[in-house]
Parts: sequence; structure tokens; C-alpha cells
Amino acid sequence: MLSEDYGNEIIIEVENVPSGVQSHPSSNRICQEKALVNSSFSVVSSLSDIDVTDSQVFCKRNDRKGNRLLRFSTSLNESISQTLHSPECMGADTPCSSRETIQGQKLIASLIPMTSRDRIKAIRNQPRTMEEKRNLRRIVDKEKSKQSNRILKLNCCTQCLHSISRAYQRSKNSLSEFLNTISLWQKTLKIIGGKFGTSVLSYFNFLRWLLKFNIFSFIVNFSFIVIPQLTVAEENTLQFTGLEFLTGAGYFRDTVMYYGFYTNSTIQHGSSGASYNMQLAYIFTVGISLVICFFSLLFSMAKYFRNNFINPHIYSRGIAKLIFCWDFTVTHEKAVKLKQKNLSTEIRFLKTHSNPGAVLLLPFVVSCINLVVPRFYSMFRLVERYEMPRHEVYIILIRNIFLKISIIGILCYYWLNIVALSGEECWETLIGQEIYRLLLMDFVFSLADSFLGEFLRRIIGMQFITSLGLQEFDIARNVLELIYAQTLVWIGIFFCPLLPFIQMITLFIMFYAKNISLMMNFQPPSKAWRASQMMTVFILLLFFPSFTGVLFTLAITIWRLKPSVNCGPFRGLPFFIHSIYSWIDTLSKRPGYLWVVWIYRNLIGSVHFFFILTLIVLIITYLYWQITEGRKIMIRLLHEQIINEGKDKMFLIEKLVKLQDTEKKVNPSSLVLERSEVEQQGPLHLGECDAAPGLRFRQSVQEDNSRA
Amino acid sequence: MGGSGSRLSKELLAEYQDLTFLTKQEILLQFAFLCPHSPPCWHQSTDPPWRWHCDLLPQVCGPHPANPFKERICRVFSTSPTRDSLSFEDFLDLLSVFSDTATPDIKSHYAFRIFDFDDDGTLNREDLSRLVNCLTGEGEDTRLSVSEMKQLVDNILEESDIDRDGTINLSEFQHVISRSPDFASSFKIVL
Repeated sequence: MLSEDYGNEIIIEVENVPSGVQSHPSSNRICQEKALVNSSFSVVSSLSDIDVTDSQVFCKRNDRKGNRLLRFSTSLNESISQTLHSPECMGADTPCSSRETIQGQKLIASLIPMTSRDRIKAIRNQPRTMEEKRNLRRIVDKEKSKQSNRILKLNCCTQCLHSISRAYQRSKNSLSEFLNTISLWQKTLKIIGGKFGTSVLSYFNFLRWLLKFNIFSFIVNFSFIVIPQLTVAEENTLQFTGLEFLTGAGYFRDTVMYYGFYTNSTIQHGSSGASYNMQLAYIFTVGISLVICFFSLLFSMAKYFRNNFINPHIYSRGIAKLIFCWDFTVTHEKAVKLKQKNLSTEIRFLKTHSNPGAVLLLPFVVSCINLVVPRFYSMFRLVERYEMPRHEVYIILIRNIFLKISIIGILCYYWLNIVALSGEECWETLIGQEIYRLLLMDFVFSLADSFLGEFLRRIIGMQFITSLGLQEFDIARNVLELIYAQTLVWIGIFFCPLLPFIQMITLFIMFYAKNISLMMNFQPPSKAWRASQMMTVFILLLFFPSFTGVLFTLAITIWRLKPSVNCGPFRGLPFFIHSIYSWIDTLSKRPGYLWVVWIYRNLIGSVHFFFILTLIVLIITYLYWQITEGRKIMIRLLHEQIINEGKDKMFLIEKLVKLQDTEKKVNPSSLVLERSEVEQQGPLHLGECDAAPGLRFRQSVQEDNSRA
Repeated sequence: MGGSGSRLSKELLAEYQDLTFLTKQEILLQFAFLCPHSPPCWHQSTDPPWRWHCDLLPQVCGPHPANPFKERICRVFSTSPTRDSLSFEDFLDLLSVFSDTATPDIKSHYAFRIFDFDDDGTLNREDLSRLVNCLTGEGEDTRLSVSEMKQLVDNILEESDIDRDGTINLSEFQHVISRSPDFASSFKIVL
């Protein structure tokens, strides 16, 4: 979390204690100065020899040395009035300024050896005004050019590499800028975020992310399966009535939409053209697009886990997070007022909250029971009471997830065990049609819910039972709907290659429908919603029961089921997977491709390979786990160290105050003795020159007073 | 762009791109919005930079007090002696810190400065009380009572003040923030 330039130095310095009781906050200020990273911007002293115009910007700050120590922590353009806060440094000029100069030089020295890209990034990351960053860059460039004059000219190879990397960076930048400009729905998402906050925004972001998956699947399927098939398409002899859009059957049965239409032959145009094996193309296209989805999901999940998975720290109760993480994206005035009201309610509620751990057990057990008896959902909900509103959300989520998993599980069982084995003419097409109907029905119900159900709820809430008020967007339920639909699409890709296209259209329409309904019928959310944590949970759900379930279903289909005899690219084969076996057989007869056969037989087909691979992955996982455990111990030890050093600081401050008090009581004539005693005690203080000035100052004042 | 044909020179644009987290589009958009009719105001070092009073900047501050921290934001980013007006470069700095691509490091640093109402480099009890009052608004029913405020501030300090000195310094603040991943996505101003 802290900058990588400097370690977090925890120095306890009892220095520059003013002659008063205010030692506590000021010494803390000083300590905090030392503990800061990216420290000091008093590049002042090194600037003085460069340009007049440069130093003009800094000359205001050069006036008072006393305010240098505070300058970094507060805003960079200190006004003169703030120097009044800090008389402490007056007695200790030399150590202050030398430390500042050293740190400023350290910053420049660390910037010089970096590559120019890293240097720009480091300068950009400095919390300073534009003017200072500009000057810093100028200084560093000058220093660098001074140094580079002495370096030998690079040979042309390195220069080539440099120019290639620079060109690559430029192209990457322009590509990302281009992608940003064509990003879909950017404006609408900003409006939603401004009115409803980041939590509701996360639903729409999730929708957009799923859309990308479908666009990719569609493009791949279309290019590699649909287009080749279209070139050898047979006549469609069926009549077209409008009913096909609802049932998916009829005219659509003999189109590229369904599995049954695809040929199992090798497509060849002309005697010398390239040949295109439809069987292999079908299985490889579906396989590769799912594999790419797999890795993409995996990496997204890993990224979200790395950034957002929070270990429940034993010291954290979430209050500081609630206070410090104000949502700045909300700009609508009413939304801000509502947020303020809700935050105030939540703060008051937090006050009465005690121990979170023990109460979680009861709702969890109750929800397990509810699985078995789903009909009693509503009655149980009236009876339960929740310690924290967050638990209620989790419980509802879990229940809905299990409901959805059961639905899909039962459907898959039905399809694979009953429909596929029933001896129907073209059972894959039948399954494809059923999935299409399911998706369509789901889509129609969602639209009806958005336009009618939510609208009615608003009318009821506003006109008839006004105590209900406007409803809030149920993020969990809606995201689960999206995941459910996407699971169906993934299962159906094998049987209905155009399904991603249909889902694309569906998602498009859903976005606008939900958006309109949101603006008309909903109010901003009242409870704090941990958007990042919930996104992690959603992606995890998308990956774990959903995508792995799909892979499992498809694996059963491909390895265990018999393709139908008269339709589709795999007609006549005993199993779908035999297409690959026969391909490998044909390849093994051609000398040029024996390496493919070798890979297939010894790596993919061999148990030993997977065994060794699994062993290696387990070993690496174990190592990482041990490293994590070690780091946890380290964190705990450092935490204790900080607490101890805080106590040391308190102890030393009290001792110092006591010393000063005893001095006061002693008469002036013995001051000489006191001073030497104090100076002898110098080594006891951790920061040297520093405690002394305050005391010396006091003593000189007392001397003057006594003389007067 | 507007009336007097003021334009951002290529070098300046490249420099702003280098020194902030903003993209070229965003910088040009802000430029077109803010300086269509003003004289060329970014020749460095000779002319005094053109400044806008905080209330005139609708994205952040707006004619209505939508953002409860608008005064603090202006104060923190302003480079003028009276700390109440922003130059174009100050405004770019502001947008850069609040942009999508800014690192959590720099965001937490500036969040600390914004929450530090008395600008003394630490968050003491007074700062925290004022912060909570900003968050809960000025309404009669939403303000916390004195005892509620005291308890809340005690709880915050118990959670965040590691060395038990009664104030939160920058490191402790950054440590607390690092434990909440929502911070980076909420500390944003979207234009």
C-alpha cells in the first residue's frame, strides 16, 4: 500500500518539544513526518543553483525554515499563517535542513537511474502540484543529461530495442485510448453511477462484461462454423410462419441455428481448394472458445481475489471503512442527501452492535433447513431476526443460488439422461430448441418484471401504501439471473451455435430495459454494499458452480452420448469424441504430422503426465501458502512492535515533562549543574540534538528572567 | 474551441499527459469547457494563471452543495494564497487524483489531506467530528448527538490508531484504507 520508494521508517523522536504541555500532538506531528514516505519536497536547496524562474516558485517556502517539517504532510502551498503552528524547529536548524536536503537528493537520485517510462510514472505518482512536478522533471532531466554525457554511446542493438519498445508503448497507449472512446454505454453508466452509486453500477458493469463474452463467442462461432456451413447450405423446404420466434422449431430447424443442419462432410470448393473438415471445426471451435472463456474467467477471478479479498482482520469492525470511504461518484443532490441520511442511521445502528461472530451460526443452520422445505420460505423469513443487515443479504443470496443450481441440475439430468437416450430423430436439435425456449421465456419474464412488476410496485408504493415508499434495486437477485442465463447459454453453445448471438441481443435489450426501469421506479440503495467484495463473489459463482458445471455437462455429452444417426456434423459416429480419434488416426499416416500424434498419445492421453503436472501445481500452491502464513506472522509482529514503540514514546515524553517540572522547582543558581546533567542524559534520548534545544531555550529564558 | 482562438499547445498537452493520470481526450474536454473565451493563460511564468473561484466549477462544486467536501477539495488543490480559487493546472491535478487510473496510494494521500480539516497533518478528534458531520449532513434529524459522536470517534480511533497517541497519521490512515477495496472505486469524480 505504501510507496515503494522508501520503507516505512518508524522512528520515535522526542524532539523539538515546545516548552509547554503540548508535547503530545506536536511530537506526533514530527514523528509522522519521519514516518512518511515520498517525503519532502524541499528539493529547494538543490534547486537554488539552477534557474531563477524555478526558484521563484519555491521562494515563498524558503522563507521560514520552521514550516518545512510540516509542509509535506499538509498542503503543498502553505500559507504564511500556518508557519505559526510550528515554532519548534527554530532551535534546531542544521539537523532539519540537512535531513530535508538529503531526502530531496535521495528522491532525485532514485529517479535518475530509472527508465524514462518509470520515471514519468514515479513523478506522476508524487502528491505535488503541477508546477512542482514539472520542475522536478526538469531537474532530473538536467541531472540525467549531465550524467549521460559521460556514458559511452550505446551500441545500435540496444538503441534498436529502445526504439522498438518506445514504439510499442506508443501503440499500446493509442490502442487503449481508442478502446476507451468506443467503450459501450460509457455515458449511461456514468449517469447511473452518479444517481445510484457504485453498488448498482456494479450490476450494469457485470452485464457489460458478460456481453463481451457473448460477443467473442459469437464472432468465433460465426466465422468458423456458420460461414463455412452457409457456403454449402441446402435448400430449406419448410414453411416460414411467425411462430418460429417463440417455439424455435419449424422453419428454424433446418437453418444454421441448430446442430442438426450442419454437415459432417469435408467442405471443399473446387478441386484444388483447401478442404475444411466440419466435424473437427465444430468440436474445436466450441472447445477453444470455452477454453478461452475458462482462462479469462480464471484470470478475472484471480485479479479480483488479489485486490478485493479481505481477510477479516481481527482488529477491524468496519467502522473506519464506513467513515473514510465516502462515495464521491454520487453527484445528484437528492442522492447525496439520501446517502447522508442513511449513513447517519447506519452509524447509530452500529453503535449498538457487539460481537459479530457467534450470531452467524443460527441463520446459517436455518437456511440449510430451508433448502429441504422451500415452501416455507416466506413463513421462516417472518420468524428470523438478523443482527446485521449484511447477513440477511448473504442468506437470501445463498438460497437463490441453491435454487438456481437445482433447477439447472435437474434440467441437465433430464436432457442428458432422458432426451439423449430416447432415440429421437435429432435429439441435439431438440435440446437446442429447449434451451432457446428457456432463455426466451426467462427474457420475457424479466422484461415483464421490469416494465410491469416494478412499475406496479412503484404505483403501489407511491399512491396506495405510501409507507412502503420506492423499492430498491435488488442487486443480488438480478446478478444471479444474469449468471443463470449465461450458464444456459454456455450449455447450449454445443447444440445451438447461434445462442451467443441471441444472448447478445437479449443483454442489449435488458440493459436499456433495466436502465429505464431503474430511473423510473427505484430509489438509491440505503444499505452500504461492499461492491468489490460482491463482485468477487459473483465472479466466483460464475466460475465455480456455473462454468465448471457447464464443462462437466459437455464432457459427459462428448464422451458418453451417442450422436444422432441422421443429422449434425457427428452423425453416425459411436461417440462424439471419435471424431478426434479418427483424425489422429489419419494424421498418424502422414509423416509430416507425427508430432501432433505424439503429443496426443503421450501428453494428453497419458496419465503420468497429468499426475506429474498435478504434483507440481500442488507443490507450488503449498509453497505459496507457506509464504502467506509467514507474512501473516510478520504482520502480527510488526503490529506489536508499533504498539510497543508508541508506549515507549509516551514513556519518554512523560519522563521529559517530569524533568522539566523538576527543573522549574530548582532555584536558578543550580542551573549550571542541571544543564550538564541534562546533557549527560543525551544518549538516553533517541533523537539527539533535539530534546536539548527545547530545554536549552527554556533555560536561557529563565536565566534572563532571573537576571531581570 | 471558443472565441479568442485560445488553444492548448502540443508541448503543454504532452506535458499534462505525462504529469497527470488523464488521457488526452479528457484534458482537451476540460480545456474546451473551462477556457473557451479566456485569453491564452498558460504561457508559463509570465502571466498570472487564470483562476476560477470554487463555486463556479460545476463538476466538483456546482451551484448546489451536492458534494459535502467541496470546500475541502478546493482548499487542498488550490495554489493561490487565499486558497479559494483553482487554476487550470490545479484543476487538472484535481481531476487526475480523482480519475480512474490514479493509484490508490495517491488517492489515499489526498483523501487524508481532504479529511484533515485543520491542516495540521494528523486527524485528531476535532477533524474526525467534522468529518462525520460532513458525512451525515446538516439536517436536524441526521446530526449525531454529542455522546453518539464521542462514541463513534472513540470507535474509529480504536480501530485505526495503532500507536495509541490519540490521532491518526498518514501511515495509519493508509493502513486502514488498504483494508477496504471499495476506496479506490468510490474516490472518483466522473465527468
